[in-house]
Amino acid sequence: MASGDRVRVRGLSIFRPIIYGNTATVLTQKERETLPSPDHTHRWTVAVRSAASAPDSEQVGGADDLSYFVKRVTFKLHDTYTNPTRNIDKPPFEVSETGWGEFEIQIRIAFISESGEKPMLLYHHLKLHPWTASGDPEIPPLDVAIKQGPVHSWQYDEIVFNDPYQNFLNLLTSHPPTPLPKIKKRPVPFHLAHPASLEASKGGVPEFNVSMEKEEAERMEEARKKVIAEQDKWRAKLIEKEKELEKMKKVLEQLS
Amino acid sequence: MAASAADVRSILAIPDPAPKAGPSKPKKAQTAAAIRKQEGITREVQGLIGGSAAGLAVQYAKPRLKQKPNLGGSGKTHWELRAFKNKGRSDDLELKHWVKSTTDPTAGYPFAKYNIQSTSYTYSQDEYTRFLDDREWTKEETDYLFSIVREYDTRWYIIHDSYDYPGGMPRTLEDLKDRYYSVCRKLVRNRPWAGDEISKNQLIQSFQFDKDRELTRKKYLLSLENRTQEQIVEEEALYIEIKRLEQNERKFKKERDDLLRTLAGVDSGLPDIIEDDGTPLGITGDAKRKKKGGTAMDIDSPATPSVASIATPVVKRPQTARNAAYDAQHCIIRTDPPLTSSATKAAHQPAYLRSFKLPVPKAAIAPKITQALAELGISHSRLVMPTKDNCVQLEALLDATTALVETKRLVDKVQADIDVIKEQIALREGRGMEGTTEPSVALDAMEMDDTNEVEAEPEGEDGRAQSVVSTRSVRSRKQTRRSMSISSVDTTATVSTRAGTKRKR
Repeated sequence: MASGDRVRVRGLSIFRPIIYGNTATVLTQKERETLPSPDHTHRWTVAVRSAASAPDSEQVGGADDLSYFVKRVTFKLHDTYTNPTRNIDKPPFEVSETGWGEFEIQIRIAFISESGEKPMLLYHHLKLHPWTASGDPEIPPLDVAIKQGPVHSWQYDEIVFNDPYQNFLNLLTSHPPTPLPKIKKRPVPFHLAHPASLEASKGGVPEFNVSMEKEEAERMEEARKKVIAEQDKWRAKLIEKEKELEKMKKVLEQLS
Repeated sequence: MAASAADVRSILAIPDPAPKAGPSKPKKAQTAAAIRKQEGITREVQGLIGGSAAGLAVQYAKPRLKQKPNLGGSGKTHWELRAFKNKGRSDDLELKHWVKSTTDPTAGYPFAKYNIQSTSYTYSQDEYTRFLDDREWTKEETDYLFSIVREYDTRWYIIHDSYDYPGGMPRTLEDLKDRYYSVCRKLVRNRPWAGDEISKNQLIQSFQFDKDRELTRKKYLLSLENRTQEQIVEEEALYIEIKRLEQNERKFKKERDDLLRTLAGVDSGLPDIIEDDGTPLGITGDAKRKKKGGTAMDIDSPATPSVASIATPVVKRPQTARNAAYDAQHCIIRTDPPLTSSATKAAHQPAYLRSFKLPVPKAAIAPKITQALAELGISHSRLVMPTKDNCVQLEALLDATTALVETKRLVDKVQADIDVIKEQIALREGRGMEGTTEPSVALDAMEMDDTNEVEAEPEGEDGRAQSVVSTRSVRSRKQTRRSMSISSVDTTATVSTRAGTKRKR
């Protein structure tokens, strides 16, 4: 390895879009009977994948293989599972299990040694029951849930590397990520931060797309405008009140 | 071939056999009859092309002349005396004016739209102390300035003329303008802005005022105006002289270039090379070549070593579209490398997820912000797509919301102060009417009661921060309690001083 490779490229950050989360399906009675633990009601898969979905694939995201910069993903499941800590060293970085309850999964992403970066910790709440607009956890009976199809809970995020080493940067740039589709072709993944997307999230395997980002930016822009309009109103009120206060003070001075 | 004889005669410059002086009526009549007068061709052209070019003449259409303007000659216009109201006026004054009867009677007064109010800026006490504090100006005088600017609608000469702040120092027109515009700039810059950066900068630009420059400009103008007649004459003479010199030089240069070109041919080169007088022409080429070589070396030699000495790879800013596309494809974001950090290796920011860096509101007002944003359907703690742009957007939103919550809090505070003062006024007025006949024992007790209550006030304020509803209840409770304790002079004195200190905090 040339010494020039271990030089940090200053003033540059490079990021990789990923998604993490889970997909869950309700087990049929037959399937449940074959299981070692018949009280399990769902089969779920928790995974870390690239954000873009492969065309015609039946899963969310995962168009690119992340192993060019991810060395290992460790999923820490609930303690009641056998071997709760699952190390995944090759793609796909995912764990499939059956279960009956939702819990927090700790996900630890370790990067390849060229990155010189420490592992990263994130958390995902395993989602088994269908989304509701209000976000309230109301659990429908299984036979209702099974009709609604698989439950998807995915979070988009970007792993940012600051001032990467030259060789790591070369490695990353030799694997450009598949860009997200510009327009919505499939349902959007539901997210609690945007409850209105519930309708748009129905009807098949969701896919992340670029317009989601724009829509969110617009939502925030709208909100900001409203806040500022409100702020102007309140400022006017404040100034008015201050004037009133001044007047009152003068009145008081005259009285005393 | 009809006019061949005449043609030959004219070519050979032989005078026409027909006497020139004598009228040749019959001939003329003949030609006139033969050649139909073509429409749209001047007489001279007609004469030139003669009858032979009839085909050509067909191509000439009658030129389309501009239509004569109809100067109202077509008919009489009816004017009517109609009453109208100017919407620009605040009073309902009705005046009459003459209008054409054809105008729409329902249309408003056309000049009303010119009555526009310039946006006047106001600021709160808090904004003043944070951004607008100035050693030269007190808040009262700034208030006065803004009120007078509003009154005279930023007509600065009038403002300056009638500016009379009691007890203030004398202000020049530039002082006033400088203060006014700097306050406006600061307000625009520091307040949350609803639009984009460009429009904000444009607005700030419109409030730009450089006092020193303005003063210098006026000084120049003044000195220009104050020249005496002799000075003007001398200046003009000098101006003419310099023009003459310039022209001479140009002429001289041109002549020398011409000379060079004739002597040295193409080698002499560019016309803008000016050689010193008396330089022998033979060596000019050499001198030039030497000069060229020298400069080239000069350009090359100095900079190179310093560039080479930089060890870390220098990332050039991508400006071309290709680079931008490359960066977008590979998700690369470039920033200017900090010049200082290259030496300190330890300060490396480890890899992170974008969502780790979401802005967090101040803990004290976090619940209020969460509540406000929830009303707008935004979650401040998570984003669907935490991209770079969205994180920035969220931060702007949080800033705006923080400002809003702060303002609301201030309004509550001022309202509380107003309530306190109202109580005091009511108290004094009440006392004035009733006269003091209260027993002194009760007075002491009341005093203690009231101080206790004031002591408890800060907690009440904290409670107010929780929610708007509870604020009102706190305030109303306080009001009722206070109205119970309407009593004495001493109590009010303690309250007012306490209110004063509280406001400062």
